[in-house]
Amino acid sequence: MLFRKMLRDMGHHKAQFFSIFLMAFLGVFIYAGIGGEWIGLRNNSAAYYRDTNLADVWVYGSTFTDRQQKDVEKLGNVTGAERCLVLDGTASLSGTPKLSLHFLDTDTITTSHLVRGKAVDLSDKDSVWVDDRFAEAHSLNPGDSLTMTLNGISLTKKIAGTVYNPEYVYLSNGSSVTPDFSSYGYAYLSKDAFPVPQKLAYNEIMLTLKSGTDASSVESTVEKALGGNVSVYLARKDQPSYAMFAEEIDQHKAMGSIFPLAFLAIALLTMMTTMTRIVTAQRTQIGTLKAMGFQQGRILRHYVSYGFWLSLAGSVLGAAVGPVTLPKLFYPSMSEFYTLPEWGPALDPSFYGMAAVTVALCTFVTWLACHNVLKDTPAETLRPKSPKKVRHGVLEKTAFWNRLGFNPRWNLRDAARNRVRSVMAVVGVLGCTALLMCAFDMNSAMHSLKDWQFGQIDRFESKLSVRDSATDAQIANALKETSGQAVLESAIEIKANGVKKSANLTATDHVTLLQATDTDRSPISLPEDGVSLTSKLADQLGVKAGDKITWHLYGGEKWVTTPVARIYRDPTVQGIRLTRTHFEDLGFPFRATSILSPEKVTQKFAGMDNVQNTADLTAGWDSMTASMMKMIVILITAAAVMAVVVLYNLGLLSFTEMERELATLKVMGMKSGRLRGLLLTQNLCLSAVGFLLGVPAGQWLTDMIMSMSGDSFDMINVLTPENVLLSLAITFALSIFVNFLFSRKIRRLDMVASLKGAE
Amino acid sequence: MGEIIEFKNVTRAYGTGEHRLLAVDHISFSIQEGEFVVILGPSGAGKSTLLNLLGGMDYATEGEILVNGTNIVGYGDDELTEYRAKNVGFVFQFYNLIPTLTSFENVALTKNIVKTAFDAREILTSVGLGDHADQFPAQLSGGEQQRVSIARAIAKNPTMLLCDEPTGALDSETGVVVLTLLQKMSREKGKTVIIVTHNAALAQAADKVIRVKNGKIRDVTVNESPMAVSEVNW
Repeated sequence: MLFRKMLRDMGHHKAQFFSIFLMAFLGVFIYAGIGGEWIGLRNNSAAYYRDTNLADVWVYGSTFTDRQQKDVEKLGNVTGAERCLVLDGTASLSGTPKLSLHFLDTDTITTSHLVRGKAVDLSDKDSVWVDDRFAEAHSLNPGDSLTMTLNGISLTKKIAGTVYNPEYVYLSNGSSVTPDFSSYGYAYLSKDAFPVPQKLAYNEIMLTLKSGTDASSVESTVEKALGGNVSVYLARKDQPSYAMFAEEIDQHKAMGSIFPLAFLAIALLTMMTTMTRIVTAQRTQIGTLKAMGFQQGRILRHYVSYGFWLSLAGSVLGAAVGPVTLPKLFYPSMSEFYTLPEWGPALDPSFYGMAAVTVALCTFVTWLACHNVLKDTPAETLRPKSPKKVRHGVLEKTAFWNRLGFNPRWNLRDAARNRVRSVMAVVGVLGCTALLMCAFDMNSAMHSLKDWQFGQIDRFESKLSVRDSATDAQIANALKETSGQAVLESAIEIKANGVKKSANLTATDHVTLLQATDTDRSPISLPEDGVSLTSKLADQLGVKAGDKITWHLYGGEKWVTTPVARIYRDPTVQGIRLTRTHFEDLGFPFRATSILSPEKVTQKFAGMDNVQNTADLTAGWDSMTASMMKMIVILITAAAVMAVVVLYNLGLLSFTEMERELATLKVMGMKSGRLRGLLLTQNLCLSAVGFLLGVPAGQWLTDMIMSMSGDSFDMINVLTPENVLLSLAITFALSIFVNFLFSRKIRRLDMVASLKGAE
Repeated sequence: MGEIIEFKNVTRAYGTGEHRLLAVDHISFSIQEGEFVVILGPSGAGKSTLLNLLGGMDYATEGEILVNGTNIVGYGDDELTEYRAKNVGFVFQFYNLIPTLTSFENVALTKNIVKTAFDAREILTSVGLGDHADQFPAQLSGGEQQRVSIARAIAKNPTMLLCDEPTGALDSETGVVVLTLLQKMSREKGKTVIIVTHNAALAQAADKVIRVKNGKIRDVTVNESPMAVSEVNW
């Protein structure tokens, strides 16, 4: 019978019970949905890396011998070493795409994942295994033959299979962030397939380390074993593809951990107020059940089960639906960018943990509310609750109070009398505002990042990437033809105060097409004769202008120590910048890696890769940030839904609590419109307080997310009037909308019934 | 028929010190098994407190309340619950039916408390509401609701029925129907029925009348020839 009562009670108070269900659902749905997305990425990539035995360290150098490989393999903490020769070639296909050719000695480390055709077999020297996405872009199939050119030598092989390689989850030719699978790819061949019969001068050794070994701890012993001809020692965390994907996951994780927790907190708050209200409203029924002789525990269980079943249904549904729906919104755009054999969402035990926590908290809150009613004697429980004491506040003693009209007096007293409800209203609105503000802030930060990079810093129209094989004459010709300016971009390792970071170096040769910006985005010019450092990196290294930093280029072992001449701020590239002259003064040879041109270049130049125009670059940026933007849209939507539910609930709560008073006022002849005004005043005032507190809370949330968004992005969190106004408009529109919903209730308020109701 | 209920010097005090208020002030009386008792008094006299004490809904501060020879003063929550479940059937002024349960379900709820509860349908039929079994309280008139409430109270087969102003919210005609039903419970089923009211007319129908004023008993009269409720001049 009691179970039937529960079901019918739920039917009766649909709106409130549904809101509990919805809150539990929404909180867990967002948590599990976004969690499923990034944990799925993490798990799938981890499985991919594990199954293909991705190297822990890549060592680049020249002519690694068999003997050296054996020596390295024998080192403690090194579990495997494998040599290969990696050379850039081209394929004889339309557009002469670049192809990274890997000639393998053995194939045990960083093996390929087979997509189509036959698996990699190094005894087959007549075959090649091609990057599947490259093959797709050129409609190549297993069985086709492919002609490649390598240092002027052409070789033709049969495509035995197409593969994905874990070294290329993110594949870029360095000049643009968006991968272009038709112009760049990779291929694997046996060492015996090398066109010139000779002993291969292996230029790469991949190492696997004992698990838990820090790659930097074995750096010196490895370099010693390799006899010093090491140019780059690249730990996995610095490997471009690995680092890029890991950073992407980190960004999703940042959004996916803070937001859902905020959601869950608001959801719990709503559940708490609603359950308390429901239990309080059933006070007489509880008293009756008690008088009939029901055991306390039985009554407690009955009411607690309301919260339990609703939150159970909501959170289980959220945990089940979240991971299978939300990730689907992200994966398609991400797979344009990254290559993984599996894109499935993950089911993490933490989702069920979060569901369990939600259920436990909701049940506990119900228990608390019910317990309060039950601890009285049945005789007391049957009587209506004695009215709360009203004390004269400090405000009421001032002259100001006497000048107030009925409306503010009534509302101030009511809010003071129902402190819990008032606080809940404020906190609820605060939470929603914070979520909205944060979503809008992130949105404008992302837009301002784009504007900052492409509208302010990049003053060029086109960017040409210089091929490694380009001759000085070709570079000079391209510079002249495009009125270009030469830039050298390189990866560096930088350290200061015991902190070591991977970063970027940009050396400029009389470049006016790059505008440096100060920490507040105002344009500045960097000193000609010093090394300037980006502010984000400076913070991480704990240095300021004048302090010393030590760095070296990847590919060279020469470390230099320079003072920081100037701190500047860059949205996407963290590192150092200096002029060509200063770069050469420090003893490095300058060779352009890109050419910036103020003209819209359409022509092709010898020695240059494809030209990228600003349109291509911004399109690339948009596709890179697509998943971030999607996340923001989801969050704004969810925050708005949550705001409606919270405000509706609070409105309902205050309406029911004030029903008798409103009925009395109505009997006395107060018009419905005036009564509505009373409620509206209170809701708007409480919303205003919540809003004012919510704005800084949103800023704080945004800061948290930005600080977790990886090393390369440097976003500026600015409080823009537009965002504040937009959040204000949404919050108040919802508040008024909810009030409108209650205006009908006021008109229909049955004076007789609501005054007779309590005995 | 022996004494089933005995109040010995029972006091219920609220508050302490200066604000100490005696709702029931050293009251003593007794009730025989099967009696139809009316407790009369103006509002605030302590009638309801008396009923609550007897019903195990409130604690006495002093004295003894003997029910079937056992003192229930000093019972803890669980013992009082057990006592209410077995011995007491309540009928309230505002019926207090569970609004989301049908008449039948409201009565059948007693099965969840005592295994030996009577069949809900039979009891409903006996109060004349057999054909209203599937209606919700809101679909019934006040008198009908109160009859469901009486059915719910007797379904447990309790030692006594305690009724707090059972006709307080009803018109006089319907009130007579309800009171007749209660009298019938006493006359025909041998239930001890105790009714709290401020309507003095009901005294003519009672076996025993206990008059209360300012928390004290003014007098207890035993009616040698009580009238049938329907004969009482209201």
